[in-house]
Amino acid sequence: MIKIDHLTKRYDDTTAIDDLSFEVKPGVVTGFLGPNGSGKSTTMRIILGLDRATKGSATINGKTYHDLQVPLCEVGALLDAKAVHPGRSARNHLLALATSNGISKKRVDEVLEFAGIASVAHKKVGGFSLGMSQRLGIAAALLGDPEVLLFDEPVNGLDPEGIKWIREFFRSLAKEGRTVFVSSHLMSEMAVSADQIIVIGRGKFITQGSVDELTKTVRGSVLVRGSDMTQLEAAIVAGNGTVTEINDAGLTVDHLSAEQVGELAFRAGITLYELTPQRASLEEVFMDLTADSVEYGAREHHG
Amino acid sequence: MAKATLISSTRAEWIKFRSLRSSVTGALVTLLLTIGISTLVALAVRSHWSHVQHRETFDPASISLVGVFFAQFAFGVIGTLFITGEYSSGSIRTSLAAVPNRVRLIVSKVIVLTVSGFIIGELAAFAAFFVTMSIFKGKVPTVSLSSGPVFKAVVLAGLYLTLLAIIGFALGVLLRQSAICISVFVSLLLIVPIITNFLPSSWQADITRFEPSELGSAMMNTQPQVNHFSAYGSAFVLLLYVVALVGAGTALFVRRDA
Repeated sequence: MIKIDHLTKRYDDTTAIDDLSFEVKPGVVTGFLGPNGSGKSTTMRIILGLDRATKGSATINGKTYHDLQVPLCEVGALLDAKAVHPGRSARNHLLALATSNGISKKRVDEVLEFAGIASVAHKKVGGFSLGMSQRLGIAAALLGDPEVLLFDEPVNGLDPEGIKWIREFFRSLAKEGRTVFVSSHLMSEMAVSADQIIVIGRGKFITQGSVDELTKTVRGSVLVRGSDMTQLEAAIVAGNGTVTEINDAGLTVDHLSAEQVGELAFRAGITLYELTPQRASLEEVFMDLTADSVEYGAREHHG
Repeated sequence: MAKATLISSTRAEWIKFRSLRSSVTGALVTLLLTIGISTLVALAVRSHWSHVQHRETFDPASISLVGVFFAQFAFGVIGTLFITGEYSSGSIRTSLAAVPNRVRLIVSKVIVLTVSGFIIGELAAFAAFFVTMSIFKGKVPTVSLSSGPVFKAVVLAGLYLTLLAIIGFALGVLLRQSAICISVFVSLLLIVPIITNFLPSSWQADITRFEPSELGSAMMNTQPQVNHFSAYGSAFVLLLYVVALVGAGTALFVRRDA
């Protein structure tokens, strides 16, 4: 289990993480979601003891990373797949890591095989594609067969087959009872690969829950189409609904349920051809939740 | 059972060191330069021996080691790249995730660098000495390793190279960028002496002996030199530089975000 407790990280004049608290539990894939620059990578670096927290703490099974006896056997991490010395072969890279934690050579060959890069094990990492580097990073994270795994934007650069492979791989790790913590700035990716999602923006905690729970937090709209659209619109407005969009498909109505819209139409004597509740997609929820916290949002150009 | 100790991290650093082209090339260049330059100089001395003046102060041992002053740059680069390579690639984070004890990581790297540097350095120094003596033989006076000061000069030449590799490494820890480190390293060895040349001569005498290159030259001479520390004294001063730089580097390394 990973526990983030009132974590704050300040650089000279910017606050990267602001009093962040959450827990990542074992047995499920936990997505760590936020726009670019929201503090996901910084949080992960602090968990791994690479950066110092200004305040608060990040612990793994109750211990800080520095207190882990054999770190690679307790926590496996993939932060930046390209952060490997380009002049070294994949096998030597893994061998050095394994040796530093007293892990056997046999295990190095096992993870190379598992990650599907055994055939290029003796090639220099500098020539690897991003996808191959991701696989090498995953092999490195698995070296010590750790209970806790961290992946920072792991699907970046993977081909569709690789993405499918990595999703199934996360699921299987979680099924084995491990803690799997995966960051992404892509809601759509998290929607299919994570069970639990933690959303942050500008270094602050926004919300946490399952995909289902998160989509429920934002109320959906209703799409309605009937025999007399003008009358229908008037009836809806009279019934305190808001029409947000009018097109060939019909009217998009906010602030009213499908049942309420149906009642209003019935009383106005309008035949309905279509009445569809529109559930907010996870993507919309995400945009909604993080709208105020996008660090580098597109702004209007002045001058 | 997996274990993370100083021994395991040192073995890991050795794997990293030997699997880098910069280390292997650097070692070869060092050997080639030390032996090659010494050979060229020895051949030149031999062919001009009839014109050589001040024969009474002629020091065959220190002539044989002249190549060290060229090889020292290759050695400094080996040391620098051993850490700056990790910064430029970003793999320092992977290293620290595997070995979160930062002092241990630095100590491991220094051990690997010291041992491999000392072996290569001594190999280069002894090879250069033997090649030079075989060139001098029959025409130019030669000395043998059975003479205490000669043996000392050759051994200290290898040590000089080793210490410079660690200085290069310590600069790497402090400054993190290869290009900056190498510029500073070269400046220390070449530019500082030029600057002191412009100082009043009464100062020069006191300052010159502290310059790394002058310490090296005192270490590699069989005779004590004017205005210089003794050979062992020079080695000691250079060692103090190493300790200070590695200490400062480590203190910063422990505090800094990686």
